[in-house]
Amino acid sequence: MRNTTMSAPRLSRAPLYAALTLGAAVMLVPFAWMVLTALKPAAELGKGTWLPERVRWGNFADAFNAAPFDVYFRNSLLMSVGQTLITVVLASAAGYALARTPIRGRGLFFGLTVGMIMVPVYVILIPRFLIVRSIPFFGGNDWLGQGGTGWLDSWWALIVPGALAPLYIFLARQFYVDLPDELADAARLDGLSEIGIWARVMTPLIKPAIITIAVFQFQSSWNDFLWPLLVTRTDEMRPIQLGLAVFSHADIEVQWNYLMAGTALATLPMIALFLVAQRYFVEGMASAGLKG
Amino acid sequence: MTTTDTGALPATRRPPRSAPAAHSPGAARALTRPQRRAGWLLLAPGLAHMTLFVAVPMLLALGFSFFAYDFLQAPRWVGLDNYRTLLHDDRFHTALWNTTLYTVVIVPVGMALALAIALGLDQRIKARGFFRTAYYLPHMTATVAVAVVWLWLLDPNAGALNNFLALFGVARVNWLGSTTWALPAIMALGIWQGLGTKMVIYLAALQTVPAELKEAARLDGANRWQVFRNVTWPAIASGNLFVLITSVIFSFQVFEQVYVMTRGGPINSTLVLTYDIYLNAFTRLRFGYACAEAVVFLLIIGLVTLAVMRFNRGARDA
Repeated sequence: MRNTTMSAPRLSRAPLYAALTLGAAVMLVPFAWMVLTALKPAAELGKGTWLPERVRWGNFADAFNAAPFDVYFRNSLLMSVGQTLITVVLASAAGYALARTPIRGRGLFFGLTVGMIMVPVYVILIPRFLIVRSIPFFGGNDWLGQGGTGWLDSWWALIVPGALAPLYIFLARQFYVDLPDELADAARLDGLSEIGIWARVMTPLIKPAIITIAVFQFQSSWNDFLWPLLVTRTDEMRPIQLGLAVFSHADIEVQWNYLMAGTALATLPMIALFLVAQRYFVEGMASAGLKG
Repeated sequence: MTTTDTGALPATRRPPRSAPAAHSPGAARALTRPQRRAGWLLLAPGLAHMTLFVAVPMLLALGFSFFAYDFLQAPRWVGLDNYRTLLHDDRFHTALWNTTLYTVVIVPVGMALALAIALGLDQRIKARGFFRTAYYLPHMTATVAVAVVWLWLLDPNAGALNNFLALFGVARVNWLGSTTWALPAIMALGIWQGLGTKMVIYLAALQTVPAELKEAARLDGANRWQVFRNVTWPAIASGNLFVLITSVIFSFQVFEQVYVMTRGGPINSTLVLTYDIYLNAFTRLRFGYACAEAVVFLLIIGLVTLAVMRFNRGARDA
């Protein structure tokens, strides 16, 4: 009796493993195709074979000559790091204020934040572009924001508007709310300032939440495309996703091995980030889904 | 959706409990003054950012939708004309139809596949971490980057898909150049990339299914399907609703794969709402009209979301 119950599930495991493996292969095939193409000499591209007959690492160096992928990469890095730093500071500050300080209109501001979470970027895109173009005293603008190009094609436009999302304020607030009062009270008696309580007592307690916010923002900054497409004009300012799109739409015939080398450069940091911070992505996503 | 405990925490919780003189409201306010000052200081930058880059643009989008504005001349009031034009705009109709079709196909297919994978990974299996990573990876990487890879994968002459199909004697297909296949190709990318998040949420939801209940049902002689239908499925209802709503909202906003792979073509067969808004605003410079289209887009997403929630509540009460 015991034997049958033990062996029956084990037998049924085989189709399960087969299905999961097949599915995983489908998920990974495009990445394999990307890496293998990136290593092929140009002459092998049209053959439609999988493995390169001759592995050509030089494609990566040549890709940098075909398009300034190193500049794109640097720009993506600066933009992502900048936006992540701003998000972590502003979201935790605002989230803390909404969760734990007795300011008037707190409920209203919290409601506003929640209401803004679901606003699709495509709805606010056009006015946001016009606002960025009309920032006074920038890019040749007068004090009314007229006459010039404002923040367009500058680090300001690339970093600031996308540097905070209402979702992150909301997430930070949800974690601060659950903390006990006693710690803040004790710190207050010790003479710590209110800002000090936020920065040095309460925020360290929600470190996992802060890391979750940071990795999500870094991912969305790194992968952002539409906003940089609108506000940058020159290769000097383009992040890597935009660089890829530009290179793939070049008028001359696309050099697929170079493009795949560039694409590998654009995807590998995110794959590395997931492998390092997997727990935060998975748990962050799961807790967002289950609290709802 | 996560509005369980809104900001209305009782204010009486705020003053330090150790404060002895908090009898009158005035004294309490005086004691909490440093806290209020710090609160405003901390809230201000985030609030200012949200106001300038989200709230004001929202209102401006609504406002501009009543104007003709082409960037070169000053905005001119046209009332509801933009909305009237939209009613008879064939491109808008095509985009709305394609976006709806895209959503109606990829949301159920993606959800079913993600649930199946999550159920598979929820068994006691080896290498679960590897499988989870494999299924999640496409979601980590930029849509633009994976769309560029797919462009090459679907290349009619040298692409991997046609070479694979040729093994079975299938003739070469120009996937993205065909009005029949371009939208399905975009859908396939959407399903492939969207599996990861759905799977992760389902995996978490499956953790909440009470094991005793499943065991009890099994002892009562229920087969696997009956256990799933009567125990697991009801227990993951809230996770299911969350996946459904976020998937619908997300898939309505499909943009990047269209931009990279087809540019809305061939013959508008992959023209979607976001891409049409983008074209109206930034290549035709019809800002007012594009804003009207964006407002309608927002209304559609809002109404669909409400309908899903209403339908779900009705189904649960029944």
